Amino acid sequence: MSTETFEDALTHLEDVVKRLEDDSVGLEEALKLFEKGVKLSRRCRSQLTEVESRVEQLLAEAADGEKPATRPFTTEEA
Amino acid sequence: MSAQIWSVGELIAAVNASLKGFGEVWVRGEVSGVKIAGSGHRYFQLKDSDGVLYCAMWASFADRLRFKLQDGLAVLVRGKLEVYPGRGSLQLIVSEVQPQGIGELQLAFEQLKAKLAGEGLFAPERKRPLPALPRRLGLVTSSSGAAVRDVLKVLTRWPHLEVLLYPVRVQGKGAEGEIARAVRYLGRSGLVDVLLVVRGGGSLEDLWSFNEEMVARAIAASPIPVISGVGHEVDFTIADFVADIRAATPTQAAELVVARLEGQLRRVEQAAERAGHLFGGRLERARLRLQGAEGARGLARLPARLQELDQRVRRLEALPHLLRALVQLRHRRLDGAASRLYHWPVRFGAPRRRELVTARLAVAAERVRSLVRRRSVELTGQERALAALSPENVLQRGYSITAREHDPTPLRDAGTVLPGERLLTRLAHGEVRSMVQGSEGSQSSLFEEET
Repeated sequence: MSTETFEDALTHLEDVVKRLEDDSVGLEEALKLFEKGVKLSRRCRSQLTEVESRVEQLLAEAADGEKPATRPFTTEEA
Repeated sequence: MSAQIWSVGELIAAVNASLKGFGEVWVRGEVSGVKIAGSGHRYFQLKDSDGVLYCAMWASFADRLRFKLQDGLAVLVRGKLEVYPGRGSLQLIVSEVQPQGIGELQLAFEQLKAKLAGEGLFAPERKRPLPALPRRLGLVTSSSGAAVRDVLKVLTRWPHLEVLLYPVRVQGKGAEGEIARAVRYLGRSGLVDVLLVVRGGGSLEDLWSFNEEMVARAIAASPIPVISGVGHEVDFTIADFVADIRAATPTQAAELVVARLEGQLRRVEQAAERAGHLFGGRLERARLRLQGAEGARGLARLPARLQELDQRVRRLEALPHLLRALVQLRHRRLDGAASRLYHWPVRFGAPRRRELVTARLAVAAERVRSLVRRRSVELTGQERALAALSPENVLQRGYSITAREHDPTPLRDAGTVLPGERLLTRLAHGEVRSMVQGSEGSQSSLFEEET
């Protein structure tokens, strides 16, 4: 899959829709456009929802590029 | 009696001794001519309409001022009077300065705000928008207190967010250092897409850390967008002026992020829905036009085209949008179609055969209508709804698939066949072998829209 960012994929999807609105587009091309639209919308949706929600509290800074020490944080402690 | 004769030094010393009688004095006036020596000592004049008093403030006192001594500043100062022997001039050794008509903090705030504005740190063109996909959030606030609770409560509305809390003190001496450090670290870490710098409500003194220059500079230098949410709607701290986006409260800061994500999903769904609707409509219109198509030749090619399209649409795992679009259209169309079917202009020769075909189509239409009425559209229902397009159904309706004898691909264009070629035509039941006697040129594809 190209490394099209989320924003590019979304604008690309909206372009596909605009082209589908053009009636001079033949049915064959409409099908290709629709297939493209399906792929793009699936990619956008997965990027929006692939991160699972979690809240971590930083325990200590780490050197550049390394992952810092963290622990789950819940508001009961707040 | 002869007048007493003083030496210069003696006289000044005597004057200074008498000045001690004043003790500490409070003097009101306007600051002007401020000079800062290398040593950090401040020299300025205090004046009003009736006089000028030279003042000196040693660095140790001056450095504790939270605002800058500036010309034109109306102040109340506390100090001790003395005559400076070197110049023989009266001066006030100042140990405290209080701005008049404006609180000390407010003055410091105005001064820093003016300074940073002058450097263009608040310029609108510096402000970056919220990222398109703010999935990882850096949170700079206290790990206890209302702010973090409010933020996390809002964030639960979007269950696909990573939050990294960098806990800091949000008031008191040294808090500004922690906040600036957190902003710098998270900004550089590459672990988050956007930063939320928030704290709950409080007095000007409570919020003061967010008015400190180092915090402002850290936010301004952040490589990723920063949303500030400090205090209540009315509170505007320097951090708010320099942040990319200013939210009125911590809750609103979190809401901005969630709203962004929800908005993006809506955009995706709407586009997908629209694509499904547009394409569904096109497919449906083409199918109906084929039903009403003129001439047997057009019909002969019908199943092949439909078969091809049907396969590609099936392979597509059509999304709910396409299906919903198709069924909605079918609802609207069925009534129209049913009535049109009776006037179907197909020249099938014997009228009896025409009734037969029309009757069979009516049955098909009725079957689809009851199918749609009986079942609500669920994802599992896709196969059945698309079955209406499937080749088997089409063959049932009296169409056929013709191809060359040893080549399975359906023939689409009459122009491609030569007299004498052997053809194989598949009907609903069984196959017919035939040989081409002649053919007319290829008809324009039924799928090109009439312009």
